[in-house]
Parts: sequence; C-alpha cells; structure tokens
Amino acid sequence: MSKQSGLTRRQTLAIGAAGFAALVSPRIVFAQNATILRARSYGDIQVLDPAYRKAAPEDDIMRSIFNGLVRRKSADSWEWELDAAESIEQIDGKTIAFKLKPGIKFSGDFGEMTAEDVKFSYERIADPAKESPYKDDWAVLDRVEVKDTLSGVIHLKEPFAPLWTSTLPTGSGLIVSKKAVEAAGGKFETSVPAWSGRYMIKEWSPKQRTVLVRNPDWQGDKSDFDEIHILPIEDEKTAELGFEAGDIDFTWVSVSSIPRYLKEPPKGGKFVRKPSLAYVWLGMNVESEPFKNPSVRRAVQHAIDAAAVVDAAYFGAAEPSTGIVAPGLVGHRDKVLYPYDPDKAKALLKEAGVESGFSCTLDILNKAERASAAQAIQAQLAEVGITVTIQQHDSGTFWSIGDEKAGEKWKTIQLLLNRFSMQPDPSWATAWFTPDQIGVWNWERWNSAEFGELHKQGLVELEPDKRDEIYKRMQDLMEESGAYVFLTHEAVGVAYRDNVTPGLQPNGTPNFVDFKKA
Amino acid sequence: MLFYAVNRLALAIAIVVVVIAVLFCMVYVIPGDPVRIALGPLATPEMVASFRAKMGLDQPLLVQFTRFFASVLKGDLGTDILSNRGVATSVFEQMPYTLTLIVSSMLWAVAIGIPLGCYAAIHRGSLFDRIIGVLSVAVIAIPSFVIAVYALLIFAVHLGWFPAIGAGRPGAPFNQLHHLVLPSLAVGLGWVGYLARVVRASMLEVMGENYIRTARAFGLPRRTIVYRYALPIAVLPTITLLGVGIGHMLSGAVFAEIVFARPGVGKLVYDAINARNYPLVSGTVLITTAFYVLATLIADLFVAGLDPRVRANLR
Repeated sequence: MSKQSGLTRRQTLAIGAAGFAALVSPRIVFAQNATILRARSYGDIQVLDPAYRKAAPEDDIMRSIFNGLVRRKSADSWEWELDAAESIEQIDGKTIAFKLKPGIKFSGDFGEMTAEDVKFSYERIADPAKESPYKDDWAVLDRVEVKDTLSGVIHLKEPFAPLWTSTLPTGSGLIVSKKAVEAAGGKFETSVPAWSGRYMIKEWSPKQRTVLVRNPDWQGDKSDFDEIHILPIEDEKTAELGFEAGDIDFTWVSVSSIPRYLKEPPKGGKFVRKPSLAYVWLGMNVESEPFKNPSVRRAVQHAIDAAAVVDAAYFGAAEPSTGIVAPGLVGHRDKVLYPYDPDKAKALLKEAGVESGFSCTLDILNKAERASAAQAIQAQLAEVGITVTIQQHDSGTFWSIGDEKAGEKWKTIQLLLNRFSMQPDPSWATAWFTPDQIGVWNWERWNSAEFGELHKQGLVELEPDKRDEIYKRMQDLMEESGAYVFLTHEAVGVAYRDNVTPGLQPNGTPNFVDFKKA
Repeated sequence: MLFYAVNRLALAIAIVVVVIAVLFCMVYVIPGDPVRIALGPLATPEMVASFRAKMGLDQPLLVQFTRFFASVLKGDLGTDILSNRGVATSVFEQMPYTLTLIVSSMLWAVAIGIPLGCYAAIHRGSLFDRIIGVLSVAVIAIPSFVIAVYALLIFAVHLGWFPAIGAGRPGAPFNQLHHLVLPSLAVGLGWVGYLARVVRASMLEVMGENYIRTARAFGLPRRTIVYRYALPIAVLPTITLLGVGIGHMLSGAVFAEIVFARPGVGKLVYDAINARNYPLVSGTVLITTAFYVLATLIADLFVAGLDPRVRANLR
C-alpha cells in the first residue's frame, strides 16, 4: 500500500490500465467516423494559386476548392465533363464559346462567378509579365471576350489540340475570383482569398495536414464526405504502414508493393492497379564519346532487354513500353523498332571498332526501382562488353545534371536513366526532346529539326488520326536516333478502405470530390 | 561563477557562428540549382534569371553570407524560396513538435534508465544486473530508425494499439500524446540503456566513497543511504549527458519524423536540403544549433550550481 496516495497496488494498476485504454480509444472512435476521408498526399501544399501551383498535391486540393469550365471525369478513360460551365462549344479551331452555370458563389463578399472571372483567370496565366510557369498552357490565347455576365468566348491565336486534354481540365483551367485575387495583391500562396468549389479549406497545419470541409454555398451535387483530411506523407512505405494500421483511407503505394497487394489486398482495404502516364527510358548523350557513334548507340538499344529490366525493377508490376506516349493516348506505338538482340549488338560494336568493349557511366536518381533497373542494365551491357559505373544522385542534384546553366556536369553525362510524368496529351511527352530543349531538359542533346517541327504541328493539328501519325513518327525518330531505349510507363497502385469508393482519373489521380461512402 | 557563465555564453555564440559558416559553405558547394527546383520544369530562362536576382543567389557567396548574417542580427531569417513564407515562421511552427518529441524521449530515458541503473548498481553482480547490462548494450547498439520501424510494425500495424503516422489532431492533447508514444520510444530507447549504464557506473563509484561508508557505519537504513546520499550525486553526470544527448536526439528525431510521418524540424530540414531550399536550411540549422548550444550551456551551469566540487574548480 502506498501511504502517499492512499491507493492499493491493484488500484494503481487499474488506473494505469484505464489511462492506457483512454489513449487507445480516441483513435478507434475517430476511425469509425465515416464522414471523414483521410487521404495521403505525397507532399504538402506550398501554393494554391492555380497560376503558380507547384505540384500534384496542390492540384488535388485546388480541384476541390475551385471550379474550371470543365473537369476530368473519374473514369477509366481520359474524358471531361462540365463543371462551372453550363455549356461549352468549340465553334472553330480558334474559338470556344462558354456559358457559366448561374449561382456559383465565391466565398466572402466576392459574389457570383462571372465571365469576367474566367477572363481574368486565363489571361493572367497567359500574360508573360505575370511570369506564370504555366503560361505555355495558354500560350496561344489571344483573349477571352466577355459577352455578358455569364457568357464569353475564348479566342485563340491558332488551334491548340491540348486545350481539351491538358489545359481546360487542369489547374490552368481553374477559375479564381478577380476581385478577391486583386484584393490579395494579384497572387496568393496558401491563404486562398476566395473559393467556389464543393469544399473549402478549414485548416492547414504545415507538414501535418490540410482539412477540407463542405462548402455550404455550393449549390450543385453534394460530395459524400463532410471533411477530407489530406496528410502529406512523402515516403510511400510509411503511407502503406499507415494504411495497414488504419490511419488513412486512401493512398498510392510504392511500385514494389504492387505485386504483394495484388496477391493479398491490405488489411481492411481494397487495392487496384492503374496504368501510369509516366515514361522511363535509358538515354545516351549523343555528344559524348563513344556514344557520338550511331552504331554504338544502336548496339546499346539491341543489348537491352527492356522486359527483363522492368521485371527486375518493378517485380512484375509494370510492363515494358514502346515509346514515351502511354497506351490509351493518341500517338501510342504498338512496338519498338530495335528490339533486344545481343548478337546484333555485338556485331554493331565490332563495326564501331569497340568490340573489346569500353567503360561508361550511368547517372540515376537514388530511388529503389531506378537502382534496380540500373543494375539490370549494367548486367546486360556487361554481356556485350560494356562496363557501366552507376552514379546515384539525390533529387536536388539529379534534376540539374543536364542543365547547362547549373554547372558542367552535363558535359560528362554518358548514359542516364530518367523518368518524366505528364498530362494526358502526347505533346507533354514530346515537348522535352525538341532542339530548343537541349541543355534544358533534352539531356541526350539529340538535335532533330524534323522532330521540332512535328512537335509544333502536333500542337495545332486537331484531327486525331493525323495527330496519331505525327506522334508515332516522332517516337520513331527518337528511336532511330539511337539515343533512347524505352523501358516502361510504370504502374500506379492505389489502396483504399473497403468502406470507400474512390473517384479516380485513369492514372489513379484522386478526384476527392467524387469519393463515395461504399 | 558569473565569469564562468559569461565565458561559456561567449563560447556558445562562437560555436553557433562557426557552425553556420561551415554549413553555409557546405550547402552551396553541393550540386543542384534551387531556382530550377523552385520554379519547376516549365520556367523560362528569363524567369529563372529574375528569380535568382530576386533571391540574391546571383551574388558571390561571400556577399550572400554577409547578407545572411546581417539579416540574422536584425532577426530576419529570410524567406522560404518554395512557399514564400518567412523561414522563422516555418521553423517555429515545426519546433514544438520536435521539442515535444525530444522531451518525451528524454522522459523515457530518465524514467526507466535511472531506476534501472540504480537498481543494477545496488544489486551488483546479480542476475538482474547482468540482464540489465545485456539489454542496455543491446538497445544502445540498435539504431533508432530500426526501433522505429519495428515499433511501428508491432504496436501500430499488428496490435493496433497506437497510431502509425502523424502528430495527432491539433487541440486534442490526448490524441497528440497517443501519437507521441511510439516515436518517443524509438528515439529514447537507446538512451534508456545509455543512462542505465552511466548511472550504474556512477552509483558504484559513489557507493565506494568514504561518506557512504561512514553513513553505513552509523547504521543508516540502506534506502536512506541510496536515495538521499548516493543517488543525488550519482545522477549529476547524467545532466551533462542529457545536455549533449539533445544533439543526438535531434538526429534521431529526423528518422522518427520520417518513419512516423510526423511534422518537425528534422523533417523540415531534410526536405529543405533535398529541395536546395538554402534559406530554410540555414535558418533551421541556425535555430537548432542555438538550441543545442543553449541546452548544453544550461546543463553545464546546472551542474556547476548543484555540485560544489565543480564550483570549487571554477575558482
């Protein structure tokens, strides 16, 4: 017995146990609250101004608090549907007429959404003086003509095919309140001056969570969840454990976990694999020795068994690719031109005068699947006598190695394993390999005037069949140059609680407003 | 004593200045362009040049360094190049999470390590002493991130007793405490073993002192000798140790904040280094270094105040 407290040992233990239970119980009560959706995002928000947004996690939130004229459907194919627009019509290649739904209100005293807001939102992105990183999305915008309060016409300088795929249904197509943004000084970061969407921001705790609640002024169809808690968790493995522990209801998982979850879904959840738009390739710097020689480049193309590389890196979760345009998009190719053929590779090396082999470097980002792919490539190239030294870089270093303005490293690049993500329009894939991108993002330094011209043609060609031909030809050119070995488009794994039906775009990107209670 | 305190304070300031100077140079020599990262792939060369000039990154390193220190003296730690928020705002937002984690980790260490060390010393050579010896070395040897991952798998995923991620709901202290248990255990467990070893050794030394033998000869109860006369002296080295330990716990906090997806200064600086967010890296390290130096200073002054032998050496 303790004289100080007057409690017996048994009572003390009971109090301790009750305290422990009290600690555990709040989590259980919280998890049972079905009107809160807890979703993982790979990063925290930094800028919620559509004109200056930085990354996908901000897009996910902006789609919930703002409206565009149209929005991406939650579906298995890349389609759009009306959002703030009651109607929208392409009159001709350069003219799009729209009419807004009446009664969409901006928060605060900023009133109803008008055509003037549409004009302000799109023209501020297009205006070079405003220095929006997304000005190319509206580079062909001439002006937005306001017809009346709710109606207007978008006038383009020339036809622009990506308008309906990667401009209007994206962050660049979102509409902000002219009055609110001007009152905020012309731009904003995380303090949103006015929202109009299905949700509004209730709370932002940096690095911890962003809480969205239903916007009481939203007149349209209501979303299922009262609140959406978006948790920034960078590490995918941590997110997976958080999901398995019941702390989150929706997350993307690491590519390496896809086979495991396909066999057995995570505890208390469901799992789905989605095709990714990203593209991964092995590049060769055409200005560096010995890759200056086209025969050496062709030999490397024939020496790489893409299927084996992808298997080694993604454990069967991803498929080999045939180009940089993913299946389901205009311009996707069915096959590669220079498949795996080690004998031909050896013959080409002999023809190039390097039959005894040579040594070179391979620069990669320090991610697990990239390292595994690099090791598989290293082993395959060793088979034909090429000795590869893998150089891993952290993200801050890697993303500047080919940039001429960021140092001298670009001169020493030989092989590089790279991955870009993109919007669902083939022009987003080809934009980085044009001649004017040499030393910027074209790190292979491949210079094809024909490719550059075709890229321009693809942007203004509205006929899908003709665009298909253009982008197939562009990928042929890439492969014929010998500078590229296409590896995979990867895959996306999505885990969600079994009492939730997620609203997902074809590549697994969440439309939070479309999530339903199952 | 006053001279000693002023002397230590001057040394602390010098340490902060040197650390910041070294770090400033290190951050700038590593490859990677913060402007390209901040503006993204779609930025034009004109936008890059304009942003570089705006942030003063087009100036020579020495100029940037001088400007940084001049701003610090005015209380301005600069602006986060990615979010455009004040660096001080970002750091002080995250600091409470890390401090809470470190303090609670220390509580684990003190609450378990000191009694274990004391008990092992009193029962020197017993089976219990040997078990504690083995366990102490074991938990010291296991890196905190390994403990973090296993604690997460066992207590969060398998048993479901504790949350796996986050710092809990703002304004809900019990929920936050619940989220703190596993990360603080991961960071503090190694220190439990460390403190147990130090207290045991210190206790054995103190128990051999003449005044303890005298107390025994006078027939004082063992409990009185241990808790009243031996332990207060034996724990003095742990105060200095805990002061130094804050630096180690800050490192451990980085792993815990990543593994448990907790907000905090460790995660903040890790992300900032990856993004080459120089102002945020410099500001965060300045504040954490100052915090660490202050903690060791307080520990030293505390020991000097408590231990007459240390005070005597200062005269």
